[in-house]
Amino acid sequence: MRYGVTDICRNTCGLSSRSHLLRKDEFWALKDVSFEVTQGEALGLIGANGSGKSTVLKLLNGIFWPDIGKVAVRGKVGALIEVGAGFHPMLTGRENVYLNGAILGMTKAEVNEKFDDIVEFAEIGDFLDTPVKYYSSGMFVKLGFAVAAHCDPDVLLVDEVLAVGDIAFRRKCFKRLKEFRDENVTCIIVSHDINTIRKNTDRVVLLNEGGMACVGSPEDAISEYLYSVSARSATMRDIETYPYDSQYFGPHSADLEVDRVALLGENLCEQDAFVTGDALTLKIEYTAKKKIEDPSFNLTFFTGDNEICTECFSKHDGYRIDKLEGRGSVIFKTDSLPFYPGVYRVRLGIDEGFVPLGAIENAASFKVRGGQKAGKGMLFMRHSWDIEL
Amino acid sequence: MFVLNGAGVLNVGAMSVPYPLYAILGTALWGPFATGVVASSNSLVAAGPMITKINFSKKSLVIASMGQALLAFIIQLCLLLVLFLYYRVTPSPAILMLPLLIVPLMLLTLGLGFVLSILNGVVRDVANVLPLLVTFLLFLTQVLYAKPMTGVLATLSRYNVLYYLVSVPRDLVLFGTSSFFKGFFLSSVVAFFVFLLFLAVFHLTETRVAERV
Repeated sequence: MRYGVTDICRNTCGLSSRSHLLRKDEFWALKDVSFEVTQGEALGLIGANGSGKSTVLKLLNGIFWPDIGKVAVRGKVGALIEVGAGFHPMLTGRENVYLNGAILGMTKAEVNEKFDDIVEFAEIGDFLDTPVKYYSSGMFVKLGFAVAAHCDPDVLLVDEVLAVGDIAFRRKCFKRLKEFRDENVTCIIVSHDINTIRKNTDRVVLLNEGGMACVGSPEDAISEYLYSVSARSATMRDIETYPYDSQYFGPHSADLEVDRVALLGENLCEQDAFVTGDALTLKIEYTAKKKIEDPSFNLTFFTGDNEICTECFSKHDGYRIDKLEGRGSVIFKTDSLPFYPGVYRVRLGIDEGFVPLGAIENAASFKVRGGQKAGKGMLFMRHSWDIEL
Repeated sequence: MFVLNGAGVLNVGAMSVPYPLYAILGTALWGPFATGVVASSNSLVAAGPMITKINFSKKSLVIASMGQALLAFIIQLCLLLVLFLYYRVTPSPAILMLPLLIVPLMLLTLGLGFVLSILNGVVRDVANVLPLLVTFLLFLTQVLYAKPMTGVLATLSRYNVLYYLVSVPRDLVLFGTSSFFKGFFLSSVVAFFVFLLFLAVFHLTETRVAERV
């Protein structure tokens, strides 16, 4: 409150608000974020919640002043930060079209001219003269989007509002967005929906805790985003702090000790970061205190969200080990890691015959970054091509 | 108030027109100020969600809130005409000038509304204190009773801008003349400058306040 009064007094007196200095309990919502968007380009903004995406849009729209730095926008800005903001519940759809149009900077003549298009786009038909408080939430956002979609901006700011209405309407929204892009309108799109970003942008800025983590092609930024999201999620922290010796002990588990589980890369060096499609070797060093007959090893790969990606059983693979005795190593190999960017954990289980001997919940954990092989989808399939003539 | 006056509990001072007419015309003129100040001080906070979503001139919100005050004033005027008929009192032709006469009061209200809406954005308690303060001002401004000739209140009234802005239009409507034209003129000048000053303050800070509503 005191800060507010001080700021206002300083602004009134024409003094700088000294806003480049952080006061107690203040933090930077955005810092060192700098980018340029050329006319007709579509820029995507992605990042975890609270990373500053909406704040960027609000700065671009002029709702907030930057404390340091400069925002320069050329042309008329149309913002779809929240559809239906400024609707009056007691007024009818027709009245709200005019009201909202005025708030978004359209003159009455402009609204008159586009009125039929707006109504047709919003698909509200007979309910045009009904107060909007009786509208379903879908109708409400449709009308809001329809008005905003017809205000002919030079720069369009879209904040997570494309996913409104039913599937047919969503399709229409995306079609309208494409029309905007064809009309050389500059678009800045904020979305958590990776596919929206992938399909509708030329370049993507990844924000992380108020800073720019990455700028680049949608694919690069998205893979970096997916990686950072899974690295940030609570389960990743769980993974890192997962006790190494959190084991399940079978009745004979004391007979076998796992000394170390090592993750090795292409050149058999130990590493914990891989790229999709890389070779991965997992080396399990054990000490068997007693002879263990017919052992089998099972590896389960979990995502950062603790979902099972895949399981590998030595027994199912037809690999038979007669016995374990003394010290030794079991080696698991894949020459093409099928995982997309993220954080993964490996659970190791060992059976003697059909009796579980023990398990290590977090035998190993590793990160995967998207490489050139990473495309779209859930898993990377190892494959080859051939042509026959 | 009328009962208290009739019973002699409250002495509202001697006047040549029926007291109800005097008091109701006074409150009708006071209304735009009281309603306007309270409504406009709330205008920014009430539109908070819209302010942080759409970039538009926040001045329109404050100005729009005055509409509420004006509408209430017009309705009260209609009722007042009925009262004039009932008491068989003919208002002076100055009643036709009323829309013009309340312009200074409206400017003062709007000016205060600008600054109070900003203050309320930062210090929310302003909106809670304001109605009380306005009621206090109502009694300080002699809307409901004639101006005393002596005492602290008489001295205060000499410098009370609101007193002139409310009582001169009332005197003009009831009696066709007023002995405070100079005060009214000076008060109008003050009101105009208050309006300009706070409009400038609002203009300079409206975006800063958007962060806080």
